[in-house]
Amino acid sequence: MSAAPASAGAPAGSGDVPGDAGTGASVAVAVDPFAPRTRAGRGGFLAALNPLAKLAAPVPVMILVVFSRGIALPLAIAAFAMVVLLAGTRLPGRAVVALLLGAPAAALLLGVTFGIWVDPATVAGSAEASVALFSVGDWTFTLAAYLVGLATALRIVAILLLSLIAGVTSTGPDLVRAMVQNLRVPYRIGYTALAALRFVPRFGHELEIIRAAHRVRGTDAGRGPIASVRRLIGYAVPLLASAIRHAERVALAMDARAFGAHPTRTERHLSPWRARDTVFVAAFLVVSALIAWWALGWGR
Amino acid sequence: MHPAPLLELDRVSIRHEGAPRSTPVDVSFAVARGEVVLLLGPSGCGKSTLTLALDGLVPHAVPAELDGTVRVAGLDSREHPVGVLSEHVAMVFQDPDAQIVTGTVLDEVCFAPENQQASVDEVLARAERALKLVGLWDRRRENPDRLSGGGRQRLAIACALAMAAPVLVLDEPTANLDPAGIDEVYAVLRELADERDHAVVLVEHNLDAAVDIVDRVIVLDAEGRLVIDGPARETFRERADELVALGVWLPVSTLAALRLRDAGVHLDPLPLTPAELGAALDALPVLPAPLSASSPVRSTALSPRPTLTWPGPVDPVTDASATRSAQAPAIRARGLSVRRGGRLGPVVVHEVDLDVASGDFLAIVGTNGAGKTSLLQSLAGVLPAPAGSVDVLGIDPARADARERARRIGFVFQNPEHQFIASTVGEELAQGLRLQGADDDAINTAVDRMLRRFGLDELREQHPFLLSGGQKRRLSVGTALIAGAPLLALDEPTFGQDRARASELLDMLRALNDEGTTVVVVTHDLQLVADYASHIAVLADGRLLGVGEAADVLAGPLIEQAGLRHPALARATRGLEHHPAWHSVTRMSQLPVTSGAGT
Repeated sequence: MSAAPASAGAPAGSGDVPGDAGTGASVAVAVDPFAPRTRAGRGGFLAALNPLAKLAAPVPVMILVVFSRGIALPLAIAAFAMVVLLAGTRLPGRAVVALLLGAPAAALLLGVTFGIWVDPATVAGSAEASVALFSVGDWTFTLAAYLVGLATALRIVAILLLSLIAGVTSTGPDLVRAMVQNLRVPYRIGYTALAALRFVPRFGHELEIIRAAHRVRGTDAGRGPIASVRRLIGYAVPLLASAIRHAERVALAMDARAFGAHPTRTERHLSPWRARDTVFVAAFLVVSALIAWWALGWGR
Repeated sequence: MHPAPLLELDRVSIRHEGAPRSTPVDVSFAVARGEVVLLLGPSGCGKSTLTLALDGLVPHAVPAELDGTVRVAGLDSREHPVGVLSEHVAMVFQDPDAQIVTGTVLDEVCFAPENQQASVDEVLARAERALKLVGLWDRRRENPDRLSGGGRQRLAIACALAMAAPVLVLDEPTANLDPAGIDEVYAVLRELADERDHAVVLVEHNLDAAVDIVDRVIVLDAEGRLVIDGPARETFRERADELVALGVWLPVSTLAALRLRDAGVHLDPLPLTPAELGAALDALPVLPAPLSASSPVRSTALSPRPTLTWPGPVDPVTDASATRSAQAPAIRARGLSVRRGGRLGPVVVHEVDLDVASGDFLAIVGTNGAGKTSLLQSLAGVLPAPAGSVDVLGIDPARADARERARRIGFVFQNPEHQFIASTVGEELAQGLRLQGADDDAINTAVDRMLRRFGLDELREQHPFLLSGGQKRRLSVGTALIAGAPLLALDEPTFGQDRARASELLDMLRALNDEGTTVVVVTHDLQLVADYASHIAVLADGRLLGVGEAADVLAGPLIEQAGLRHPALARATRGLEHHPAWHSVTRMSQLPVTSGAGT
């Protein structure tokens, strides 16, 4: 329901996958860690940064947002993240609109859905509790409840926007390369993990077939939690059997191509940590700290 | 002068961990630069295992015991790790999907040279050369998933070439491909063979594609011993009977010539390709008349010895078409359109009208992505079709409950493991009857009968996953039939299987069909279609180009319109100038027999 901001990072034109139309192309698109960079990924200062910098800067702020209260801090951080995103990338017009309209809309709407769950008793004391927005029978949706819901919604939107800073301009392989080159993660682990990511869409497709096959056998007859657990176990056996077989084949193919033969491997794309990465991380954290200090001082 | 061998095997035996005996056993041969070697043998003889030993995966990566020595460019494979040996031997495996590890075509080709620590310039130069050779340079920025099956396998070949190794080993590189993909891959292999720059070791069942690029054949027997090592054409021509006796598959054209020889038509030398067969037939002044497509003689490319079917009392084969037309259709589809992936998914089947009469053996053919599987699944109710567009024996399969559906339709998926739901073979069969609410006694009798019918009676308590490949396939057909379904639908039943297993399955389907079961299969192996199907439906881009009796469809233009290639035998007979009566010969069973044949 709040997919609007996230869609900015999704590959465009996912419908024209060739090959057998029935082989789960849609699944492959939903989780494609190798999706080619969108046009957004090519321009702007974010694209020129080390992927690790784009991760190191927002993550502490995300943690801060998770533990924050009130509306001011997540709102200010969300706005800051939005500014960084719009200034640091060259998003296509549609994505900019989706970001600028979608993020606030998602926050406002999510605020209602979260607010409904707020126990009126916990916010009864405040002034806003007397402002009724609407009521159904005995139950009244007050402004106080909405503000609590909105705070939660804003935290989610802020975290989403922060994660887009890393997500829009770097791909899975970029991140793995940066980790191997800068964090001394062994390349055997990094690139194997990347190869394993290719399994995900494959298994999604395989699971779909297994479910159809079991439906044909009439095993979806039972209802209730016990039947569904039994069904899941039934899916797991063939899925695991084929997963292990597939993994063995991939491992052989990688061995045959000299993977792991030498302690290092040639990197065609260097991913150095430059001064600008340090500046970006420091500046991002300082600005976030200033925002937090100001927002908390004003909000309380 | 003799160049030093790139590969040298001396008395090599390999025993997989837990296997009772070694396959292969005592194999010795050497391969020099420029040679294209075809490795043949019946299934289970250890061909694939042997290829794994050629670059040290056996014994380094695969738990198996290696006796004897394998020397790769003079290096003992036991003493050098796979990484070192891979400088000299590059591999291409059967499943293109299991070889792709990165996100773009270019990254994929660069993967191996990067692992070999080549300089960046060298990596890119090798990648460019390899991708240009296989025709993928223009698509280097794309995700490999977007390539067709043939394209992905060409990519795998490019990846192997980029390793700059003088030996290329390919283990059934086309087993998972459709005919177009097979042609693509062989076009590349032919180029490599012509360059004479590499040594190529090829394991392949599809000899029709391979025969004109190989120059040497090495044949293992069922035990895994080397029995023939000789020049390819001479071996196929002069030792054809020996090869057939070993259970090795020959090119369809050669098989056809052997059949003709038995009927008194001598072609000398034996033809290996459809073109050679055609030329040899045309050179003969007189040919006996071919048999009609509905003759009771049974003979296929998979089991070429002719046998005679005796018209049964219930369903006389010879005049079946007359009785069929009078019967109500088993399947009736009108204006059937299907979307994949829900309401908003792409339309993959467009406005198909199709009738399948009871007792037909219908093959649905088309290129990859033509919508064959979607059509079959919607006919069988696996994929929901619009209400009222499909009628199978009086029900709408997508809306009927599982019990009603199972009583009419048995659906067999490509991979039998996907369908297994119980922990013993017996339970697996019983499940379908339990769904019908049968009582225990009835279930027991029916299960016993089914186990005997499919030769599984010893395996009643076995876990289905522990069966052999052929047994799994038989069990999956058994589970589809046990509720008494008169209609059996199979999705690509022979895909990725060796010919022995394919033959076993198809003979079983034919036996069921003879007993009156309606069979619908999706496949892209057109020689199988020609040999087994009574009717063919041709699909292209989700639309039904046409449907009709197999002989008519194969003789007409539909196959080419759909972007498919005629089966080997049809290609040989279509162009005959002197024997117009032979133009319609597309199946092995149409070849003339002597009066004495039919054992």
